[in-house]
Amino acid sequence: MSRTWKWLAGTLGVLLVAAIGILSYVAGSPRNVYGLVRYALPHMHRGTLKAGSDAPDAQLIALDGTSHFHLRERTGTRPLVLVFGSFT
Amino acid sequence: MGDVVRIYNDYKNQADFLTVYVREAHPTDEWQMKSNVKDDVCYAQPKTLEQRVAIANDFIKRFQYPLPFGVDDMNNAANDAYAAWPERIYIIDESGHVAYRGGLGPFQYHPEQARAWLAARYGAVKHEASPAAISPPPAASTPAATAM
Repeated sequence: MSRTWKWLAGTLGVLLVAAIGILSYVAGSPRNVYGLVRYALPHMHRGTLKAGSDAPDAQLIALDGTSHFHLRERTGTRPLVLVFGSFT
Repeated sequence: MGDVVRIYNDYKNQADFLTVYVREAHPTDEWQMKSNVKDDVCYAQPKTLEQRVAIANDFIKRFQYPLPFGVDDMNNAANDAYAAWPERIYIIDESGHVAYRGGLGPFQYHPEQARAWLAARYGAVKHEASPAAISPPPAASTPAATAM
């Protein structure tokens, strides 16, 4: 293995360790880095909607678990504040 | 969430509100948070609509959550259309256009921006001073007050 390759591999290794270290610090722990990369980032999207975009419709289920309504049924008369989220 | 409920209570007579429950952010079988264990909010990611609706109902009961509520279908159509996960706020105006698009949670999630939008249109709602705000105002001789 030539000297250049050793240097390159060494530098990359150091960078990788540093990146994991920094991410662990920012996310709180290595476990959180894994969670972030494995479970969060794939589902986080910026989306294409902007101020002025036509608001997309979607069918939603009521809390009884059976009846449905459309998001856009709730728009039109007054501004609609839409809050997306989950329990955890 | 408390912020959103306060905004709802302040502006429910002027604007409509709708909470859309989307896929769980920190279920037990994915990236569970220690705080969820502490708060006893431990659910696996729902695999059926029944499970998802059950968690939504638990949430409503636990917090006596007052906002109108809808559950995203298992194809996550609403979530995908609005790029919402894990949390995001929009305001849709009367013409059906996006008037305000909040940032993606948790770091860019700022309910106070939605409040500001509503306040700009309907006027700010004054609240009784919070404990932090009742601390005595700085004396007139402080540098900050005499900087002018």
